[in-house]
Amino acid sequence: MNTTLMALVAVIPIAAGAVVAAFAMRKISVTALEGMTRQPEIAQLFTAMLIGMALVEALAIYTLVVTLVLAGKIVVS
Amino acid sequence: MFGNVWTIDGTGMVVVVNAVVVSAVLIGLGWFLARGKLTSGVPKGRQVLGEFATDFFLNKARGMVYDYDRDTVVQTVTPFLGTLFFFILASNLFAMIPIPVVNRPPTSFYSVTLGLAVSAIFGNLVIAARLKGPTGALKHLFWPNPVQFVSEITDVLSLSLRLFGNIGGEYMTLVLVAAVVPVGIPLILHVLGLIPTFVQAFVFTLLTASFLASGLHREERAGKAKHRVFRRKKPEPA
Repeated sequence: MNTTLMALVAVIPIAAGAVVAAFAMRKISVTALEGMTRQPEIAQLFTAMLIGMALVEALAIYTLVVTLVLAGKIVVS
Repeated sequence: MFGNVWTIDGTGMVVVVNAVVVSAVLIGLGWFLARGKLTSGVPKGRQVLGEFATDFFLNKARGMVYDYDRDTVVQTVTPFLGTLFFFILASNLFAMIPIPVVNRPPTSFYSVTLGLAVSAIFGNLVIAARLKGPTGALKHLFWPNPVQFVSEITDVLSLSLRLFGNIGGEYMTLVLVAAVVPVGIPLILHVLGLIPTFVQAFVFTLLTASFLASGLHREERAGKAKHRVFRRKKPEPA
């Protein structure tokens, strides 16, 4: 395959995945911070925020794996 | 440029050796914490550390006891969850050691994380079969949704990919950055990489525990009394 085309295509999944994941995590962290300032004594809010972040981040990591597989197949001609 | 990221050499011996070293460290630590006289009164010394480590998983296991025998559930579930957590935590922390080949944590190989995820989901099935009987466990795989077993397969994929992406990506970033700037910036990356180290171990264990809890609970029978269409006559008292 064309090396230039493949190198250009390989970067699209991680770029899109990182941007969309960043928007989702922004919403999660804003809501969690507001909750923590309203009621600082809730112990589980931080734990729930971490789990939510990890689940969203996993989606971005699936796109990273796609990028790694594509980038591993680029052969310099 | 950075070569083959799946293995350092072609044979894959690094994976096995690193995983064995992590296991040896964990077993040594457990032996060290558990020897000597253990009291069941007020603990002191190293027993405090061991109890602190075990307490979290005991409370998690107690949260899953509905109408099962409490001792069986707690004794089966606690070591399962605790082993997963401490193995992942210890092998993630191996990325902090500055020796070159021991540096690479076993969880930065996809083979190790896939094995961990498969054993976690398979262990869920085995524990459910042990507590509910084998027919109960199979019924959970097929009952409310006939293709529910596909969600088990996607659970395996998501658990393994999440752990591999976080830890393997962190290691790859370190290797790439250290090839360019050997001093200074890798330190910042090490410190920042401590956060996913703990969070990923915690999230893996928590997700396994929640899959296990959803697999163990019986369905609600409160509103579903058996409704007979043709009523049978009650037998006359003799």
